[in-house]
Amino acid sequence: MKKITSGIFPISLVLLAASLPLFLGAYPQAVARSVFTYMALALTWDILLRSGQVSFGIVGFYGLGSYAAILLAVRAGMPPAVAIIAASLFAALIAFALGFLVLRLRAMYFSITTLALAEIFKVIIHNWNSFTGGPEGIVLPQVVFNGDSRALYWLSLGMVLVVVAVSVFFEKSRLHYSLTAIRNNEIAARTSGVDIFANLLITFTVTSLLQGLIGGVQVFSYGFAMPDSAFDGNYTLLPLAIALLGGIHSTWGPIIGAILLGVASEYLKLKIPYGHLLVYGLIIILVILFIPNGIYGLVRKGRSKRNG
Amino acid sequence: MRLNRKVIPWIVIGVAAAAAIAAWKPTALIYGVQRAGLYAAIAIPMALVLGIVHIVNLSHGETLMVAAYATYTIAQALGLDPWLALVPVMAVMAILGYLIFQLTIKHTLKAPELNQLILTFGIAITLTQLVTLLYTTQTRKMHLSYVSASLSIGETSFGVYDFVFVAMAIAMAVALNVFLTKTRFGKAAVAVGQNPRGAAIVGIDVQKVYVVIFTLSVILTGIMGSLFMTRQSIFPSVGGPYTMKCFSLVAMAGIGNISGILYGSLVLGLAEAVINGIKGMSGWSNIVFFLLIIGVIGVRAFKERKI
Repeated sequence: MKKITSGIFPISLVLLAASLPLFLGAYPQAVARSVFTYMALALTWDILLRSGQVSFGIVGFYGLGSYAAILLAVRAGMPPAVAIIAASLFAALIAFALGFLVLRLRAMYFSITTLALAEIFKVIIHNWNSFTGGPEGIVLPQVVFNGDSRALYWLSLGMVLVVVAVSVFFEKSRLHYSLTAIRNNEIAARTSGVDIFANLLITFTVTSLLQGLIGGVQVFSYGFAMPDSAFDGNYTLLPLAIALLGGIHSTWGPIIGAILLGVASEYLKLKIPYGHLLVYGLIIILVILFIPNGIYGLVRKGRSKRNG
Repeated sequence: MRLNRKVIPWIVIGVAAAAAIAAWKPTALIYGVQRAGLYAAIAIPMALVLGIVHIVNLSHGETLMVAAYATYTIAQALGLDPWLALVPVMAVMAILGYLIFQLTIKHTLKAPELNQLILTFGIAITLTQLVTLLYTTQTRKMHLSYVSASLSIGETSFGVYDFVFVAMAIAMAVALNVFLTKTRFGKAAVAVGQNPRGAAIVGIDVQKVYVVIFTLSVILTGIMGSLFMTRQSIFPSVGGPYTMKCFSLVAMAGIGNISGILYGSLVLGLAEAVINGIKGMSGWSNIVFFLLIIGVIGVRAFKERKI
C-alpha cells in the first residue's frame, strides 16, 4: 500500500509539470525552463557529492557540452538531437580521461582542481578564435522547434526527468552503498572491498555527461554560445545554493531548492537588477551555519521522529 | 631560509632563466618580477590562515576587493591620497575580519572541511554581490600621477611604481617570520598550527590565536587592497581570480611555507610576463596559473599518495 501511494505523488507531479504550458504564458514557461536547468545541474552536483567529493567546476562540463553541441551543429552540420547526444558523450569522454588525475585528489585539492579545469576550458574556447568564434561566440542559424515555447518547455522537462531518473538510480542501486561508504570512511570502504577509484570514475563520468547534456539542450534552446555566458560562474554557484537549501544527499532536496530559489530569484531580479544574487550568498552561509541538512533534511528528521 | 644542496641546481636554473628572459626582452623580466611581488603579497595572508587556522579561505580575493572599494570610498569622500586612506581602511578591515570570524567561520571549525569551503564560498559571493548592490558593476579607477613614474636604462623604459608590491611582499614575509619565530604570541600560533589539541593542553588559548590570526590576515589583505587600488581599475568581481591564484601559490609552496611563496610567485609572474610578451599570445597567459596549479597538485598527490 505504501509503495503505491509513494509512487502516485511523483507521477502526479510530473503530469502537473507536463501540463503547465497548457495554462501558462510564454514568460512563466521561460522561468520554468531556467528552474529546470538549475534543478538538473544541482542534481548532478549532488550525485557526485554523495561520494564526498565537492565539485566547484559544474560550469566546466556544462560549458563544454554547450560548445561541443553548437560546434557540431554549425561546423559539422549535425541535426540537433545527434549533436546534443554527441556533445554529452564528448563531455563524458573528457571527464573520463581527466578523472585519472582529478579523482586521486581529495577535499580542497579536488574542489580547487575542478574550478581550475573549468577556467582552463573557458580560456581555451575564448582564445581559439578560428574554431570557436572567440569572445564574440557563435550563433546557430535557427533555434530548435522554431523557438516554439511549449516545445522548448517539454524538451527542458524531458531533460530534467532524465537527470532525476539517473539520480534515483544512484539512490536505489548498489552504487548508493559504495558511494555512501566512500563518503563516510574511505579506509573502511576499501577494507570492505569497495573499489573506490572505479566507483568515483563512474560517478564523475556520468555526472559530467549529464552536465554536457544540460549544456547542449540549453544552447539549442537559446541559439548561441559565448564564453562569458556558457562559462558563467552562476552555473556553478546557483546549483550549489539550490542543493544546499533543498537538502544534500537526496533527489528531493535539489528539486525543492530549485523551485523555491528559482521563483524567488526571478522575483528579486525584477526588484533589484544589480546584486540580487546576494540572496544566494546569504542562503549558503545561513544554511551551512544553521540547517546543514537543508529543508528536505528537516522533513526527513521530522518524519523519522514521528515514526518513532 | 635553509640553503641545502638540493636547492642549488634550482637556483642555477632560475638565474639562467632570468638571464635568458632579460636578454630576450628586458621589460618582460621587470614586469614579471613586479607581478610576482603583487601575487606574493596577496598570497601570504592566505597562507597564514591556512597554516594556522587550517581554513582555505575562498573569500580571500573578495576581501581584497572590499578593501579596494573601502579605500576608494574613503579617499574620495575625504579627498585623501589612498596611501593615507590606508590607515582608516585597516581599522575597517580589522572589524570586518573579526566579525566574519566570530559570526561564521568559528562555528564551522569542527565541521567537515567541505562545510568550511562552502561557507567561505558563500561569504565570497555575499561580499561581491553586496558591493555590486552598493556600487553597481561599473569599473572605478583613481588617477594618481605618481603611479606612472618610469625609468629608462639604455633603450628600455619601464614603470617603477609596481616595485612597491615587491617591497611589500618581502617586508611581509620578513615581518611574519620575525613575528612567528621571535614573539611569544607568534610561537604559540605556530604551535596551534602544528597541533591544536596539543597546544590547548599546554595552556594556549586556541580560540584567541584563531581570531587574532584570521583578523591579522584580513588586515594584511586590506593593506594590499589599498595598494592594489592605486594601480588597477576595480570592479566587484576583480578579486575572484586572486583567490584562485593565491591558492595555487600556497599549494605550490606547501602549507606553512611563507618563503616558498616568494619563489613560487616568481615562477608564475615570469611565466605570465613571458607569455604576455609574445605577440598574439596575451589571451593565453591566464592558463599558465591553472595548468601550474593542476600540475603541482597532481605531482604532490602522486608523491605523497595521500594529500
